[in-house]
Amino acid sequence: MSSVATIPMDPAPLGRPRSVWRDAAARLKRSRLAMACAVVVAVYLAVGLLGFTPWLSGLLSHSYADSYEPPRWSGSVGLWMGTDIEGRSVLWKVLYGTRVALTVGIIAALMSALLGATLGIIAGYFGGWIDNLVIWLFSTVSSIPWILLMIALAYALKDRELSLLGWTFRLVGVPTIVLALGLTSWVGLCRIVRGEVLKLRQRDYVTAARAVGLGSGQILWRHILPNTVHLIIIDFTLNLVAFVQAEVVLSFLGLGVTDQPSWGRMIDDAKLEMMRGVWWQMGAATVAIFLLSLALNMLGDALRDALDPRLRGVD
Amino acid sequence: MWSFILRRILWTVPIVTGVVLITFVLFAYVAPDPARLEAGKHATPQQLQKIRQQMGLDKPRWLNTQAAKAVPGLGPKLAAVTDSQFFDVLLWRLPDSQHYKEPLWSLLLRKAPASLAIAGPVFFVALGIQLVLALVAAYNRGRWPDYSITFMAVLGICVPGLSVIILAQWLVGFELGWFPVAGWGRGAQIVHFAVLPILVETLVSLGGGVRFYRTVMLEEIYTDYVRTARAKGVADRDVLLVHVLRNTMIPVITNTVASLPFLLLGSLLVETMFQIPGLGNLMVEAIGNRDRSIIMGMTYAIAVVYTLMLLVTDICYALVDPRIRLQ
Repeated sequence: MSSVATIPMDPAPLGRPRSVWRDAAARLKRSRLAMACAVVVAVYLAVGLLGFTPWLSGLLSHSYADSYEPPRWSGSVGLWMGTDIEGRSVLWKVLYGTRVALTVGIIAALMSALLGATLGIIAGYFGGWIDNLVIWLFSTVSSIPWILLMIALAYALKDRELSLLGWTFRLVGVPTIVLALGLTSWVGLCRIVRGEVLKLRQRDYVTAARAVGLGSGQILWRHILPNTVHLIIIDFTLNLVAFVQAEVVLSFLGLGVTDQPSWGRMIDDAKLEMMRGVWWQMGAATVAIFLLSLALNMLGDALRDALDPRLRGVD
Repeated sequence: MWSFILRRILWTVPIVTGVVLITFVLFAYVAPDPARLEAGKHATPQQLQKIRQQMGLDKPRWLNTQAAKAVPGLGPKLAAVTDSQFFDVLLWRLPDSQHYKEPLWSLLLRKAPASLAIAGPVFFVALGIQLVLALVAAYNRGRWPDYSITFMAVLGICVPGLSVIILAQWLVGFELGWFPVAGWGRGAQIVHFAVLPILVETLVSLGGGVRFYRTVMLEEIYTDYVRTARAKGVADRDVLLVHVLRNTMIPVITNTVASLPFLLLGSLLVETMFQIPGLGNLMVEAIGNRDRSIIMGMTYAIAVVYTLMLLVTDICYALVDPRIRLQ
């Protein structure tokens, strides 16, 4: 041990150590496109938070004009994107929809990341019967086409009362969708993480950590998990896109949000409105979804390039 | 080789059981009681009991041990113990659809042709276009054809499919009047009704595939054997079509098989919007009618077919590519 201590150390290392994160952040900052996408996502987040204020919900219940007033630029801001069948402002509805979309997307994506990463890491690291069990679980779940399983789950959970640790809450709208999406979409990440951990656990530093006497928990937490975080983050952004789009499908099927306005409901309303020439409600929601998806998609790609430089030669 | 195939075939048993397990738990424990839904709010307990009996819901959930005790002999005991709700699903003894009053099998077979009439052409047309676009993009990497194709693909992914469908239906069907807005016919009429849904569905499904195949092909284009082929003077076209395309077939087939359940399911959205009497439409209706047999049966049937398709693909891989057998 003493020989290690006597190795001369550079008293003043060259600045702070370059961590993966600083490296990735530097790479991201260099890409103008990625920064633009990050700004767009940040704006959406801000609008989403605005949806929680009583101010926006107040504007939402306000009836502006007759039903289906076309967009006009003069006059009240609320009329910029026209009105819906009840005379509510489409602009405020779109802004409020951001809250629903992001709440659903973020919580469901967190849930799926947590499930997928935990199961993947445990399966890959411990192997044996635990691994077999997890493989069986994700093979089974992935043999039911995603959309079918999601629909079945959303159908089963809709309007149910759930008791958990003495708390009873009704599954209406957002919680139903979050559960349906989160419980069905962890498979991809689980599979990738498991594969990565299988490789990682044979690395020298893991063997060294074990030789030094670190427990499994500490090895997983300090050595394995940090090396899979980039996979989790990339999966998270791509899931967000998928979930925002899935909300539209669920709304169409009548399994989505029913107690508040959402982008999916606005597009769903349009299937009857378009023939009457009412395009603004669907247009507004479509553009909102499109811009968010585009920004997240490109940000996801940029994140992948920044966090996993090995892949960069390819795409 | 044979041991690989045998192991792979045996592996489908726990998978199919697992699928039924998940579906069953979901519908037996989480979903609302179908008998109560069917009976309505003001049903008497006797009425409720009768409906339960019709639906097979009066049986025990997992194992019918009571019935097994009553009969002697191993065979009858086994038959009696599996007379439960779980085995009813596993052995496909699902009750008739509540809404259609028709056995599930005949219902599925009746609805499948319309789905295939839409999904079949979509599948081949989309795959062809995707492969061509991906090849062009990969070959011209970093130049304008690549950028424009990738850009269009990303656009395609980001626009919600439902918006595209509604827009196309309104523009082509309603405003321009080129095709019927919605509906379905008999015999040759079908072509008339099917063109627009096929076009729309192809358009919606294009984006993801193009991007994925482009990545796959790029990985292949930078391999040594492609460089060798170029160096010895093989024409670009031959390099792409003979070497690159062939070697990308495995990921392409994997991705294709993964999209096959949607071929069976049809597109939920397109079929409903264009009122095509297919499986997707059936599913959407079943959700509205709370028709438990259909939702459960279709989930089960499609998952089983999908599992079998994965099995066949895996075996084909093993035949084609010895590396896979050895893993």
